[in-house]
Amino acid sequence: MMESPLSLEPLFHLGPVPITAPVVVTWAIMLALALFARLATRRLTLIPGKLQTVLELLVTTIDDQIRDTMQRDPAPFRALIGTIFLYVLIANWSSLIPGIEPPTAHLETDAALALIVFAATIAFGISGRGLRGYLATFAEPSWVMIPLNLIEQITRTFSLIVRLFGNVMSGVFVVGIVLSLAGLFVPIPLMALDLLTGAVQAYIFAVLATVFIGAAVGETDAAVSEQKDTPDAR
Amino acid sequence: MTIDWWTLGLQTVNAVILIWILARFLFRPVSRIIAERQDAAHAALDAAEAAREETETARDAARREAEALAADHARRIAEAQAAAEDEKRRLMAEAHAAADKARAEGKRDLEKLRATQARELSQEAGTLAADIAARLLDRLPEEARVTGFVDGLAEAVAELPEATRASIGSEGPVTLRAARPLADGEAQQIAERLGTVLGRPPALSVETEPALIAGLELETPHAIVRNHFRADLDRIRTELARHD
Repeated sequence: MMESPLSLEPLFHLGPVPITAPVVVTWAIMLALALFARLATRRLTLIPGKLQTVLELLVTTIDDQIRDTMQRDPAPFRALIGTIFLYVLIANWSSLIPGIEPPTAHLETDAALALIVFAATIAFGISGRGLRGYLATFAEPSWVMIPLNLIEQITRTFSLIVRLFGNVMSGVFVVGIVLSLAGLFVPIPLMALDLLTGAVQAYIFAVLATVFIGAAVGETDAAVSEQKDTPDAR
Repeated sequence: MTIDWWTLGLQTVNAVILIWILARFLFRPVSRIIAERQDAAHAALDAAEAAREETETARDAARREAEALAADHARRIAEAQAAAEDEKRRLMAEAHAAADKARAEGKRDLEKLRATQARELSQEAGTLAADIAARLLDRLPEEARVTGFVDGLAEAVAELPEATRASIGSEGPVTLRAARPLADGEAQQIAERLGTVLGRPPALSVETEPALIAGLELETPHAIVRNHFRADLDRIRTELARHD
């Protein structure tokens, strides 16, 4: 019986814990990102070099996106949204490396990210509105909507999972099928398209996470317009 | 399709750890340096604003100073003009005064000159009159230069104060000056004539004085009685000079 391409086989075990390929690739991505971040931010100066300029552009773009979406100071959400975006982007693009399957092409990774967004939505919602205020949002606009709002919380988390999983997995499948049927260079345009798809999916995942968290946090931070040019360093 | 829960859990932990790592080593340092740069930029802007305000303050002060200087300059010019006007008026007054003084002095000098000239003219006229009279008298007989003046001399003596008349001849001979040398008997006749006036004939000491032109002069210790042309001419000249 042929195994499903969606099934995961452990590469090795750490004690009782089976370690699968997405986990190993994720560790590699974590290591690479950690090293890059440590090395790139080791000598930050007021007059930036090329690399620092790129980093600052990345951070200010993420901040602007969060600010535009949530109408709030982006500092508390920067690390979560920025990390999700970077990780999903690099994970999606890791398919370019021969023999590597992107972790986001597996349901577990996408589910893990969606769970984190789900938990963050609840945590930021309670933090922003208080427990009663956050729970009260489920009764909006009427208490009749409580079941639907609860279902919405679940379904949109699933939609996050499925959207990312479906797009990345389909891209990997298509490239794999074309690669198996045609020559080595034929799937290159599809791989380029896959790059674009990966970037778009990373952006969509990050923006949706921002929207969900922003909806949970609620009211607009009145001070955000004044802080727009002053990102919080905390 | 099945879910590998171990993988799901590990990936969740991995994502959380990655979020912490990137927050600590990427987002926080980069956002901090951005904030520092913005703070530095704001500080520079504040400093520039402060410098601009300081510059404007200095410029305003300079403008006020310039205006004050201009006002002071204008005031000094006005004061100088006023002082110049005063000085001009003073100099004009002084000039007028000097001119008036010079004019008055000139007038006085002119009058003095005119008086001097009149006096000289009078003297010349007197001299000329004396010359004319002398020339005319030269044509007359010699006795006319004396005899015609004896009565006048006696009348003049008669008009002297009593005390003066009494003293004539009491202290010795009195001097009788005649325009020409007296002939014999003429001195006697004159003494007798005077004796009719004085009550006694005085002793005479006769002297010749051609400057008298014509006539007699009697000199006593206390008076001189003149009755001759020279005295008349002098009197006329004095009168002329006084009227001038």
